[in-house]
Amino acid sequence: MNKIDKKILELKDQGRMGLMTHLVVGFPSIEKTISYAKIMEDSGADFIELQIPFSDPIVDGPTIMNACDVALSNGTKVSNAIETMKILSNELSIPLLFMAYYNNLFKYGLERFCKDSRTAGASGLIVPDIPIEEEPNEHFIKTAEKNNLYPIRVLSPASTLERMRKNSRVAKGFIYCTARQGITGVRNRIDPKTVSYLNSVKREINVPIAVGFGISGREHILSLSKHADIAVVGSAIINVINKDYSKAEAKMAEFVRSLLFDT
Amino acid sequence: MSKGHFGKFGGRYVPEMLIPALEELEKEYLGAKADKNFKNEFNHHLRNFAGRPTPLTFARNLTEKLGGAKIYLKNEGLNHTGAHKITHCIGHALMAKRMGKKKIIAETGAGQHGLASAAVAAKFGFSCKVYMGATDVERQRPNVFWMERLGAEVIPVSFGSKTLKDAVNAAIKDWIENVEDSYYLLGSVVGPHPYPTMTRDFQSVVGKEARKQILKEEGRLPKRVIACVGGGSNAMGIFSGFLKEKNVKLIGVEAGGTGNAAGEHSSRFNGGSLGIVEGYKSIFLQDDDGQLQKTHSIAAGLDYAGVGPELSYLQSKGKILFASATDSEALNAFELLSKYEGIFPALESSHALAYAIREAPKLDKEDSIIVNISGRGDKDLFIVANALKDKQFGDFLKAESSKDGYNE
Ligand SMILES: Cc1ncc(COP(=O)(O)O)c(C=O)c1O
Repeated sequence: MNKIDKKILELKDQGRMGLMTHLVVGFPSIEKTISYAKIMEDSGADFIELQIPFSDPIVDGPTIMNACDVALSNGTKVSNAIETMKILSNELSIPLLFMAYYNNLFKYGLERFCKDSRTAGASGLIVPDIPIEEEPNEHFIKTAEKNNLYPIRVLSPASTLERMRKNSRVAKGFIYCTARQGITGVRNRIDPKTVSYLNSVKREINVPIAVGFGISGREHILSLSKHADIAVVGSAIINVINKDYSKAEAKMAEFVRSLLFDT
Repeated sequence: MSKGHFGKFGGRYVPEMLIPALEELEKEYLGAKADKNFKNEFNHHLRNFAGRPTPLTFARNLTEKLGGAKIYLKNEGLNHTGAHKITHCIGHALMAKRMGKKKIIAETGAGQHGLASAAVAAKFGFSCKVYMGATDVERQRPNVFWMERLGAEVIPVSFGSKTLKDAVNAAIKDWIENVEDSYYLLGSVVGPHPYPTMTRDFQSVVGKEARKQILKEEGRLPKRVIACVGGGSNAMGIFSGFLKEKNVKLIGVEAGGTGNAAGEHSSRFNGGSLGIVEGYKSIFLQDDDGQLQKTHSIAAGLDYAGVGPELSYLQSKGKILFASATDSEALNAFELLSKYEGIFPALESSHALAYAIREAPKLDKEDSIIVNISGRGDKDLFIVANALKDKQFGDFLKAESSKDGYNE
């Protein structure tokens, strides 16, 4: 059984929404990525999404773009991300996923990437720029599944019913719904339309729903907890790191706990 | 239209949030293509706003100096706003109007596409945001100034390499955020389907004109058609008129920059490899991890890591040959055309000309070649003056910059 499924069963048993936190590998360094990830699990995160830094991250706002730039100028390679995955999967028990842009996988060799990621202990891949229509040319879904990696499908508020169904037919693990029509980055409030959109996704598909983009605090998560199964927090975490590198570890633990528990 | 694949190239590799918008654009475009009124309106504005058809000028003096094939110049620099870009901008603006959009988002390298976008936005009543790499803002300030006079907002992009690819990224992100009321006016035959096809179709008027004109002048087809290639819009435009001809060699000229090392040039077909970036599959200058590399060219419009997917396809089929010209060859070509023919070519177009200068003497005097002069060189005043180390011009700039208007 894929770790993602096990985790989802556990969440169902406990009757609570899961939390997926996000890190850019190599930001601000590989050592820090590893230490932050451990803190995340210790503080209660249910999944961690490790983003492979890319030179041209098309759905990311300034916060994650900058993190990618820093990671790349530190010399972070795709192979380093896989090594990091290996170290973390040995030390942590929660499911770990790669978030990446397709070109990095393509150049590394899709088959090789999937194999190495699986061997390194990854449970799934979130690749936003490989739509289902390109599957006949790229075989991304097929190759990921062959290697027992869940290729996480992404939906947005602009997705039509037809596209929801098309994606849900191949969805494994969970479907990632972007909370808004936009790019990553912290927002003050959750778009009021998000709830009705999540509900319509729920009606159409029977895989668990993760919701992300713009989520930065407990009140956001609470407002979505009845409409999705997993909350994803990305840029807000990077902001914690950005604020003060030297205190990031302590702040990280505090922040992750603040997302999960009332204070 | 297929799903926008040209062999293994092209496609629509975008995040889910853009797929519905691209599907809608494709559907609307197919409708417009079949609509006589759309075509008439497009042609009307090409004639009466852009100034088409542009002339095909025989470069007699240059031909005689080189002593080979007759050199013809397709002078796209005579278009309104100074380059071929206005042609596809009119087409896209009419699409935006048809789709009821209120805002135009564009990116620009040299500023020529931004300028043309700003001009059609002013004419057809759209607001206009133009993303431009911070490096390009610095080196193409006159175009920034003119875009602003046309009412556009020019937004410098200071991420990544701060050039065209980063401007494309920023523009796509803006479009993702504002897809409902915005039209993304992508500046070349790149990006996700249907952009490469649409922009090629709009530009194909250049190839049609050139073909008719050379047949009228020469009574037969040319041996070579030569165009510079940034993203590839001017090249696809003129090549499309000759693609079916076996005896016409089509040559795309890339920026050779200052050397062969990564970061010194923008020759995708000399060091690039297959990749998928900015929504399309094509040849990119990238490292072995798939990170785009820095590029360089004296011509901002050629300074780009990717190339239109149809060009990659035609290259792979041997239908387009690729060559490159260095910064200094381009400058030399600029000077030659100015002195021999009384025409300032854009530095982008000077790359095509540099190749023609190499090639013409190897051909028969009876033969002819066409060089696409995609734009005029006025915008490059400051770059050329600096490259030529024109000290008096430098003094003039100093004196100018000390004037009151700049110092209040
Ligand atoms: C005059 C001119 N020629 C050529 C180009 C390159 O673009 P493309 O290859 O799409 O024609 C530009 C781009 O800015 C330009 O301004």
